[in-house]
Amino acid sequence: MSPAPADDSDHKPRDGGWGWVVVFGAHISIGFAYSTPKVLSIFFGEIQEQLGSSSSEVAWISSIMLAAMYGGGPVSSVLVGRFGSRPVTMLGGVMCAVSMVTASFGNSIVFLYLCIGIIGGCGLALNLNASLTIISKYFLAKRPLANGLAMAGSPVFQSVMAPVNQYLLDVFGWRGSLLIIGGLMLNCCVAGALMRPVTVPCKLSSSASQTKVDEQPNNSKTTLKESCMMNLKKFLDFSFFKDRGFVIYLTGNMLFIFGAYSPIMFLQAYAISQGVDEYSAAYLLSIMGLVDMFFRPGTGLVANSKWVRPRIQYFFSFAMIFNGTCHLLCPLMNNYSFLVVYAVLYGMSFGMVFALIFECLMDLMGNERFPRAVGLVTIMECFPMLVGPPAAGLLVDIFGDYKYLFIMCGSVILLGGLFLFIMNIYNYHMLKREETAKGKEQNQKTTENQDQVEMKQAPEVEMGQTEPEAKHKNGTQRDPCPENAGTPN
Amino acid sequence: MKLLWAVSALLLCCWRADASTAPNIITDPVEVINQTTAILSCNLTESSLPIKGSQWLHNGKVIESSKSTDSAPFTVLRLDKITYSSSGQYECVFLTEPEVKQTIEVKTLPHVAAYKHSEHGNEKDKGVMVCVSHGYPLPTDWTWFKEEDGASTPIINGTSDKYEIKSTPNKTILTINDLSIENDIGDYMCSGTNELGTASDKIHLRVRSRLAALWPFLGIVAEVIILVTIIFIYEKRRKPDEVNDDDDSGSAPLKSNSNANHKDKNVRQRNSN
Repeated sequence: MSPAPADDSDHKPRDGGWGWVVVFGAHISIGFAYSTPKVLSIFFGEIQEQLGSSSSEVAWISSIMLAAMYGGGPVSSVLVGRFGSRPVTMLGGVMCAVSMVTASFGNSIVFLYLCIGIIGGCGLALNLNASLTIISKYFLAKRPLANGLAMAGSPVFQSVMAPVNQYLLDVFGWRGSLLIIGGLMLNCCVAGALMRPVTVPCKLSSSASQTKVDEQPNNSKTTLKESCMMNLKKFLDFSFFKDRGFVIYLTGNMLFIFGAYSPIMFLQAYAISQGVDEYSAAYLLSIMGLVDMFFRPGTGLVANSKWVRPRIQYFFSFAMIFNGTCHLLCPLMNNYSFLVVYAVLYGMSFGMVFALIFECLMDLMGNERFPRAVGLVTIMECFPMLVGPPAAGLLVDIFGDYKYLFIMCGSVILLGGLFLFIMNIYNYHMLKREETAKGKEQNQKTTENQDQVEMKQAPEVEMGQTEPEAKHKNGTQRDPCPENAGTPN
Repeated sequence: MKLLWAVSALLLCCWRADASTAPNIITDPVEVINQTTAILSCNLTESSLPIKGSQWLHNGKVIESSKSTDSAPFTVLRLDKITYSSSGQYECVFLTEPEVKQTIEVKTLPHVAAYKHSEHGNEKDKGVMVCVSHGYPLPTDWTWFKEEDGASTPIINGTSDKYEIKSTPNKTILTINDLSIENDIGDYMCSGTNELGTASDKIHLRVRSRLAALWPFLGIVAEVIILVTIIFIYEKRRKPDEVNDDDDSGSAPLKSNSNANHKDKNVRQRNSN
């Protein structure tokens, strides 16, 4: 280990060892987070009967849960920044369990909105953010693979929990099932317990503290508590919107999320309208989930390779373009075998996008800014996610034909992918320009700091990082070590 | 004289008009009651209007195979196997200007079926059982029975808060409030009666205990607590070693060397002794 650690957290991620256990924990946590709102719909029929509500009223439970999960991102990122991933995940697990257990005693639909929707959704938000952050702390070189493995939790849990929920419903009824699912979600606490905070050996970096004094003469942060308080106050850090890369990523993402979930919801109905029987149509969704399950870690592996890693943003835009094209081709699929092909391609592209979606953000933002960035991204994604499926449903109602839904979703996603591709070319071009300009400035100043800069840049080159990451690492390596020791992650 | 002539001419016209716009259809049989087969026939009499064809309707829907362009004033429809689905109102239509038609009713016993033959309910919650009926005519009366020890006790609506019966001609719903495991488990029979007779179906009700799900839940909570405890204990035992490794990565080899030296010395001492 180098005596003066080079990257922004003053700690070289181990890229292995306990990290894989943490990935397993994140896998469980993310799995519950993404699958629960979807598989709860299995109980809606019985809940509707018992509580005497309409099907649209019951469907709001899932929508409120998803909205709370995405909307709770900023709060979650502040908590993660302050307390670290482990306590936040454990708190999230407890909140989810409490929400399900109290919901099992509920007698009105509004009570369920509060319990499952809001409390449960907030618990899942805490889980999601904390899991993603801990991966970025433990991995750097193998981070795409770690992300792919962790995000694979979503399809795995969806395919496991769906039949489990059906079985629980038959044996115990909806109240008993919610009670047991509350217990199962308590396993997120186990996942949280596995997320051991990364210990930072601060005592060695006397040279780092020297650089702090030399290179930040205008930094008036005297105590780490003050900097922590500043983090707490910034629930939504709008300074992110000044970052060109972030704005590009956010726009592409929002376009993707708008069209991403509607095809899944309407695929079965579309297949039935094309003359496929109910069971075969249901198999299409299972095929998609199965392919998704294997393609997420696979994509992570591919993204880890030395050819793709530096160009990961382009790979992400390619995945999105692939997804959009899939949907545009769907209206041409009018018999079952073609629909199976579509389901396979959809699963592939969906898995590819979701394996990379947070990896690309980590790549853009770096470890320091990732928690707050992901909170901001999830709360912004709330809007297209809530608007997308009803808009698609409206198209189906107006035209009476499912093909317009697929055309709309496909074209929006394709637009997002092309936007990302073109704007990333522009972004990298601008970054190169800015770096060469900065390089000329620094060359004039490096007479004093030349040795230290070389030592810090060498391990970065070995890691094979992307250009923006390298830029951010250079920019944030000046962060004082005591701050990181004080906020365990 | 002229007035009398005009009136009689008017009367003659009216009489003749009546005669020409009052065709009579004689149906045979007039109605079908609880038969397995039937032959329905319609005979158009007292009509001088041209007949372009004829067809039959079942409950308002045209039977495609009965369409005919034959200008004969009678038409026949065969019903080979009369079940509840083929019962209903049959109309024979003669395509004249204007159309003339007559109805023959085909009546059968009611067909009563339960939505689900096995229903579940949760303790202290509501239990809902549904029976539907198809056929013609639809039941006018619905009754529910609870089967206890071989005897059927009728359930009367409105006597207590426990039972609620909502009935329409084609559906009946029995709602049992505040289910209890001792009293409410068992077979329930719904029976529908129309003018021809009665038919019924049976539903078995199961009541789940509220505590049934509690044991798996407690089991899972115990498992979680045990796992979390194990993880934390493992970490506490490892942590001092890890911290030492991180801080003294350079000096650890030296330590082990010194231990080895001590051992060697001991060995030598023993050997010398």
